[in-house]
Amino acid sequence: MRLAFILSEIGSGLRRNVSMVVSVILVTFVSLTFVGAAGMLQMQINQMKGYWYDKVQVAVFLCSDGSTAASCAGGPVTPEQQDSLNTLLESPAVGQYINDFAFESREEAYDHFKNQFSNSPIVDSVTPDQLPASFRINMKDPEKYQIISETFSSQAGVETVIDQRQLLERLFSVMNGASLVAVSIAGVMIVCAILLIATTIRLSAFSRRRETGIMRLVGASKTVIQLPFILEGVIAAVIGAALASATLWAVARFFLGDFMAQQYPDTAFISAGQTLILAPALLLLGACLAGISSLLTLRRYLRV
Amino acid sequence: MIRFENVTKVYDQTARPALDAVNLEIDRGEFAFLVGASGSGKSTFLRLVLKEDRASSGAVYVAGQNVAKISSWRVPRLRRGIGVVFQDFRLLPQKNVFANVAFAMQVIGRSRSVIRDTVPEVLKTVGLEGKEHRMPHELSGGEQQRVAIARAVVNRPGILLADEPTGNLDPTTSMGIMGILDKINQNGTTVVMATHDDDIVNEMRKRVVELKNGVVIRDEAKALYTSMIPVVGQSRRLKDASGRETPDEAPGESGAQR
Ligand SMILES: Nc1ncnc2c1ncn2[C@@H]1O[C@H](COP(=O)(O)OP(=O)(O)OP(=O)(O)O)[C@@H](O)[C@H]1O
Ligand SMILES: [Mg+2]
Repeated sequence: MRLAFILSEIGSGLRRNVSMVVSVILVTFVSLTFVGAAGMLQMQINQMKGYWYDKVQVAVFLCSDGSTAASCAGGPVTPEQQDSLNTLLESPAVGQYINDFAFESREEAYDHFKNQFSNSPIVDSVTPDQLPASFRINMKDPEKYQIISETFSSQAGVETVIDQRQLLERLFSVMNGASLVAVSIAGVMIVCAILLIATTIRLSAFSRRRETGIMRLVGASKTVIQLPFILEGVIAAVIGAALASATLWAVARFFLGDFMAQQYPDTAFISAGQTLILAPALLLLGACLAGISSLLTLRRYLRV
Repeated sequence: MIRFENVTKVYDQTARPALDAVNLEIDRGEFAFLVGASGSGKSTFLRLVLKEDRASSGAVYVAGQNVAKISSWRVPRLRRGIGVVFQDFRLLPQKNVFANVAFAMQVIGRSRSVIRDTVPEVLKTVGLEGKEHRMPHELSGGEQQRVAIARAVVNRPGILLADEPTGNLDPTTSMGIMGILDKINQNGTTVVMATHDDDIVNEMRKRVVELKNGVVIRDEAKALYTSMIPVVGQSRRLKDASGRETPDEAPGESGAQR
């Protein structure tokens, strides 16, 4: 009986203030979408770390016809230079830092390139002789990159030494920056959401002060009087959180899963399923936001 | 049933107290009128009984309990034992008569079947049978006040507080309301009624407690609106202050006119 009563009170409360309830839903939706976007970026970073860190290599690019670097002044790499580099890689002095290495010829580099950018028109304008040959080195400890770099960059026939891990780190720091921005926006939006929920509850309490006044007089408990207001805010916020979760899922499913995966076929994007991990957290966060802000409001405006 | 021990209520430190060292006891089953000029502290007295406000000093006992010692989560239980009626009825305009009365039972968690049985019975006591489905705006003032009384007593409180329940009604309708209150009192409910209505007080001949500036200046059984042993000039002045009397009407006469 009491439950049915509370539910009907919530229903009438929601109907009475439709526009405020809709704005609470939208504000929590937007703020929690930003929170979720930050979460998704972090998940994506972890995913890429897991995928790339055991694949990243140190690449020792060899001089080719088109090389303009000072170390390539002597023209393209000679077979002798290439042999001595090979010997150096096999020597114990260098070998203790590396797991294995492989030579990638210009044709192989071209094939990789074609695969990597299969959807892009750039493929057609690139020819094998524009791409340098390289030694691909898998490090035992990627942190020891400096030693390899120092050893090889001074060798004849080497154009440059590149640590792919550093390229990734740069990408990750951009992504981290983006998730920080998302969190900051989310913070501001959450403040908006809390204030808006507080205002909504206050208006709702005001428009129903006649009922609550009578409830107080006939001895309704604090729970029966206040719960409908609290749940009103919580329901609106949870709807917002559900919308945010659905949006994140859709982004992962359609933007990352279809569009981005096609553009960057060898990048591991998070799956739509993974974003569902964020949903319970967002729902809980939404419910807590509304619950706390309505409790604080009611303490001041709905004395029992 | 209700006992005030040296109760003082100060709302505003700079003004005089709304109640000043009031000592009063109202027994179980009694019917008492609270009279006095506007601002004399009648509503304040009723608010203290309900624990709507705290006494500044002294103790208020309701049904043997010191209300100051009731923790906030048990206040609802205190209020379930007290029915309240106001001058302005305070019905819910979008609910019909039945729903208005049922509301008082719903919010304290009574079952649907108990509500279905009790509400018509109470509506009958206040003389509203057959009007269950009327909306408040389809009722006269007297009928609306009957709904309010039905709502106040539907949970069978031991005490009924009425703050000027006839303030908006004509004399005949008022007497009808008094009949209902009297009937409720006959059934064992303690009734305390604040009023300015001298006709009613004179007609009922119940206990009269008169307040003036927060002080009890008279407490008489089976009394009239104005004292039988008048302090010269005072009762006349009180009536003028209430603003409800015609100035040419002499004190005590109005009762005789009925
Ligand atoms: N909430 C309040 N805050 C401050 N002062 C108050 C408050 N309520 C009442 N008062 C003051 O307390 C005094 C007693 O008021 P109270 O309402 O008890 O009078 P009353 O006898 O019920 O008057 P009336 O017959 O007009 O209803 C008045 O001087 C009033 O101004
Ligand atoms: Mg009053």
